[in-house]
Amino acid sequence: MDRLENSIKRLRHPAPGSRIEAARDFGIDLNLLIANLRLTPAERVSRMHAACVAAEQIRGIARRRSS
Amino acid sequence: MNFVLAVQALTDAGVEFAIIGGWSAIMHGSAHLTNDLDLCYSRNPDNLRRLARALAPYHPRPAEFPPELPFVWDDRTLHGGTVFTLDTDLGRIDLLAEVAGLEVWTLDLPSLIRAKRAAGRPKDLLALPELESLLDAAADSGPAAE
Repeated sequence: MDRLENSIKRLRHPAPGSRIEAARDFGIDLNLLIANLRLTPAERVSRMHAACVAAEQIRGIARRRSS
Repeated sequence: MNFVLAVQALTDAGVEFAIIGGWSAIMHGSAHLTNDLDLCYSRNPDNLRRLARALAPYHPRPAEFPPELPFVWDDRTLHGGTVFTLDTDLGRIDLLAEVAGLEVWTLDLPSLIRAKRAAGRPKDLLALPELESLLDAAADSGPAAE
C-alpha cells in the first residue's frame, strides 16, 4: 500500500492504545492532519501563510473598529 | 507573520539557517497556526553579516524594547548574543543559537519532537500529541489498524 495512504489509514482508524488514539481523545483533529498530509510541504506553508495574512487583516479591522 | 517574504529575504541573502518551531511543524503537517518564525542560524562571521543585512530593511528591534532607547542592528549585535526575539515589519522572528553544518532548512519530525520536549514550556508540550501522531502515522513498522 502507498505510504501516504497507510499513514492516512492509521490516522483514520487509530490502533487501540496508540498515541494517535490518545491524541484524538486529547482533542487533536485528525481529519485536519489527514488533509495536510495530502499536501506537499510547500502547499502546507502556502495555506498557513494565507491563514496568517487573513488573521492579520482581521486583527487590523478589529483594531480600527475599537479605536 | 509574512513567512514567505522573510524566508525569501534570508535565502536571497545567502543566509545559512534552519526553520524550527511552529513553521517546521506546519511543514510536517501540523494544523496549528503560529505567529512567529523561529530560526537557527550559523554564527560564522560571514553569515552574521548576511543575516544582519537581510533583515535590516524590515527594521528589527528586540521585542518589548523601549522605543525611546536606541538599538543598533548589525553583525556585531548578532555576535554579542545567541538568542534574539525580534519585532520586524514581517512579524516576530526568534533567532536561536546555532546549528552546525547546516544541510537542511527545517528540522525532521523526530528532532522537532525532541526540541519541543526539551523546551518543556506548556505551549511546546501541547504540540506533542499532534506531532507524535504525525510521526506514528508515518512509521514504517506495523500495519495500520483496521
